[in-house]
Amino acid sequence: MNKPLRIALTKGRLEKDTISLFEKIGYDCTAVREKGRKLILPIEDGNIEVVLAKANDVITYVEHGVCDMGVVGKDTIMEMQGKFFELVDLGFGKCKFALATKKGSKFYGGYDVKTIATKYPNIARAHFESKGMDVEIVKIEGSVELAPLLELSDGIVDIVETGTTLKENGLEVIEDIVPVSARLIVNMVSMKLRQEEIEKLVSLIEANI
Amino acid sequence: MKRYDLITPEGTRDLLFEDCLARKEVESKLEGLFKGFGYSEVVTPGIEFYDVFSSSARGFRQESLYKLTDSKGRLIVMRPDSTLPIARLVATRLKESELPLRLFYNQSLYENNSLLKGRSDEMVQAGVELIGSASVKRGDYEVLCLGVSSLKEFDDNFRLEIGHIGYFKALIDKLGVDKMVEEEIRMLISAKNYPALNDLLDTIGDNQIIKTLKQLPRLFGGVEVFDKAAELFTDDKIDGILVNLREVYDRLTCLGYEGKISVDLGIVSHIDYYTGIVFKGYISGVGSAVLKGGRYDKLIGEFGRDVNAVGFGVNVDAIANYMRKKGASPEISIPDAVVFGKKGFVVEAIAYARELCNKGMTVENGLFDTLDETIDYAKKKGIKKIYVVDEEIKEVCCDE
Repeated sequence: MNKPLRIALTKGRLEKDTISLFEKIGYDCTAVREKGRKLILPIEDGNIEVVLAKANDVITYVEHGVCDMGVVGKDTIMEMQGKFFELVDLGFGKCKFALATKKGSKFYGGYDVKTIATKYPNIARAHFESKGMDVEIVKIEGSVELAPLLELSDGIVDIVETGTTLKENGLEVIEDIVPVSARLIVNMVSMKLRQEEIEKLVSLIEANI
Repeated sequence: MKRYDLITPEGTRDLLFEDCLARKEVESKLEGLFKGFGYSEVVTPGIEFYDVFSSSARGFRQESLYKLTDSKGRLIVMRPDSTLPIARLVATRLKESELPLRLFYNQSLYENNSLLKGRSDEMVQAGVELIGSASVKRGDYEVLCLGVSSLKEFDDNFRLEIGHIGYFKALIDKLGVDKMVEEEIRMLISAKNYPALNDLLDTIGDNQIIKTLKQLPRLFGGVEVFDKAAELFTDDKIDGILVNLREVYDRLTCLGYEGKISVDLGIVSHIDYYTGIVFKGYISGVGSAVLKGGRYDKLIGEFGRDVNAVGFGVNVDAIANYMRKKGASPEISIPDAVVFGKKGFVVEAIAYARELCNKGMTVENGLFDTLDETIDYAKKKGIKKIYVVDEEIKEVCCDE
């Protein structure tokens, strides 16, 4: 089969980290470095094709098999779910999901139903479901930190890297939910029909992370 | 109030012309194959009682079922699967029947996906169930060969992947963890989630079984898988399973399917449903398995008739779409002629059209009042001939 192996990368930091990883493996990635506005780019003499997409779309493309593999954060995987193989923890893009509230407020206590603001309603719901706790979830698109400050919610479930934004806004992490990092995912059929190529690339990646 | 009278519900669509032809073609090929092997068709109701699908062993998530209530307030679901209704059928109306039973079906299934991910909520599936085979092995071979033939019918570049649910079950029983952990391990293996699986197993301990489970998602590919598995861990039970599976692999490969049969010991889906060999079929260009099946010897027993069974289902829609994309499905044909009845001969024209149909032609009855308009119409549609029905019948050619 001469079709290139197509890999979808989450635009932005994960894309840069993945390209650095590919360069460490020894692939020529100039096409991606000088991409302009192109979204499909050949690397490694055209044996691999890089597709640049938003995180959620990486999963959609891989699930449908129009891309064989993808690099996407665990946060997106948990929020979107879907059917694909999750082969490698790439180790970069590290952060965590956490529950944060206004400093000093008592979140776990009393019998009032708490309100949670989040960009990740599924993750938030799953977390509180596992505790058997009823919460009201409000989906927010932008800076989630605003919600407790404006008293829309009692707490937020969000990705936390350094915690600086939280601190500057008088919020604090009261519970870590789950650690997050970038993952290599593979379409279920590609894994079987292009096993050799994929396993070769995976072992190269594993040797270089 | 917003009215939804111009669109179809999420995850459904109207099928037009070529779509219908493509689907019919796939269905008739499969039907021909199944009938040729002595399978008889059954149709089960589109709606069933929820109870048929509700036991946890049957593997249907509550949220994925379309539910309704009947006039007595009982919970009804739209059929999400054909195997369970057939199991019910075999244990009830067919309980006195001679074995084996060879049944096939071709019907729509419904699943509530609602994720806007381009997956359908309605899907046509065709498949076979071989029930009560005197020799389990012979039954497995028959159904596997039918599976291979089904795939080959549509694409030479197919892959049939076999596994055995007993391999994972034997390992996990030896590990002796509680059901929750077992389920978590199963899901991680199923998703080939190497990192999370390693983390989880590391917390349990470190022995040869754990090492084997860690490798399980990687135990797929060609014949080398059997050697790898044998090196990792064996006991009598696992040895038996591997020898059996290897034989199936060798036999199928020898039928001229070199490189088209593969093994995956990490197929661990529907673990409470399947009891023996499990398999999946792929064709390149379709992003998910188009064929799924396996042996389920306990399932019909749950409905009250203890009898073994093996079967598979084929995703007809996925294959039909693939055939259309490939340009291998039939095109809509242009009618051979228009039959135009002059004033006073309208009914006679229709009768003559019927005669032509009987001869195997495709004809349209002309709906215009004048011949000129009929000729214009035929030219526009690319129809080459017009039969004008008057006292006598004249043929007019309307080539450009």
